[in-house]
Amino acid sequence: MSFADVLAGIYQGFGVTASVTLLGMAYAVPFAFIAGVLQFSTRGWPHAAITAVIEFWRSSPVIILLYAFYYTLPGFGIRLSGLAVGGLVLGLNIGGYGSQAVRAALQSLDRGQAEAGRSLGFRRWQILLLIELPQALLAMMPTFVNQFIQLVKSTALVSLITLSDMTFRAKEISQLHYDPVKVYTGLLVAYFVLCYPATIIGRWLERKVGAGRKFAHDV
Amino acid sequence: MTFDLAFALSIVPPIARALTTTLAVTLLSCVFAALLGFGLEITRRSSKPMRYAMRFVIDFIRSTPVLVQLYFLYYVLPVYGIKLPALVVGVAALSLYYCGYLAEVFKAGIDGIPKGQFEAAKALGLNRTKTVLLVIAPQMLRNIAAPMGNYFISIFKSTPYLAVIAVPESFGSALDIASDTFRYGEPMAVVGALFLAIAVTLSFLIRKFEAHLALSAQR
Repeated sequence: MSFADVLAGIYQGFGVTASVTLLGMAYAVPFAFIAGVLQFSTRGWPHAAITAVIEFWRSSPVIILLYAFYYTLPGFGIRLSGLAVGGLVLGLNIGGYGSQAVRAALQSLDRGQAEAGRSLGFRRWQILLLIELPQALLAMMPTFVNQFIQLVKSTALVSLITLSDMTFRAKEISQLHYDPVKVYTGLLVAYFVLCYPATIIGRWLERKVGAGRKFAHDV
Repeated sequence: MTFDLAFALSIVPPIARALTTTLAVTLLSCVFAALLGFGLEITRRSSKPMRYAMRFVIDFIRSTPVLVQLYFLYYVLPVYGIKLPALVVGVAALSLYYCGYLAEVFKAGIDGIPKGQFEAAKALGLNRTKTVLLVIAPQMLRNIAAPMGNYFISIFKSTPYLAVIAVPESFGSALDIASDTFRYGEPMAVVGALFLAIAVTLSFLIRKFEAHLALSAQR
């Protein structure tokens, strides 16, 4: 098999990799915003509760979460496909990280912004939606792009719960034609092609947002 | 299926015993990842061609999944006659993957050192090695203690990946118990709780240490 054949074989798993990524995003983005905003705006026991939820998803090794959910949910009568479990677990794990970017960005805003909103008669949720979140969004962007890359890369794990993604396809090809050098070099290249553009964008955003911050300080 | 507490408690000792391997892998990988990352960053700063070359190396490492890098080392090295124990391959893979992230952390740390420090080192007639080791490194470490600590926690949380190449660490021992007994719930809960507890404790300690550094910097 030529290297191009191997690469083409690996990309047959692209659909599954992309599906898990998109499903993961559908969990990660709402979870990051809801959990981040709640952690930012609550005090006392609700704050402790939301922190515990975030820490569970963020601080547990994702591979353990994946096995735990995939193999134990059926025991509770919940039958989910590998795709559904993969999207859920990888998404909420990344969302947990994202929530910290949301919270940190909200915390970094000048207090005067919220105070100005209050003095203009805005309600708490209006201040959040109309004043705080739009400004915090820019500061979150580099982290969000980096988390997206993490999500794409972590989808390689679903090959372990029998989903035929790119990594799974590579292992199949490797079993049929013993040629680990081509197969695993191809697999590295396959992921690199997907993630490198995002890496470049992330780097660029980091520079932009960093420059923006410096400017804001000078003024 | 119900959660059998007696069974769960009975499997704590073997899983906890395997923590020795987990922690050894973590420690070794942290040391090698930091050394490699610092080396990468210093090389990146040595000349213009090196800046682009090393940046590409770092981006490549960061744009491919750690699982795939692990497979690559595990299956490709033997083809070239390099036969290493699985544990060594695992440490190599984690060190390689995280050195790319740590290099970026070191970059931020070095960028944060005032320019006068470099000029002072030059004025004192220190050569490059002495400048790096005696002037740059100590100040950089203070700047980056928190992000570096967070990556060390990530390394700890990535050690379960080594189960896929049969390194006898905690997650692997939990998987063995699961496949022997056909019960996944208890082993996954035990190993998950163990990792979560350690990760949360470590991140608490890092926050304390960061606060301590911030205070001693003010003095």
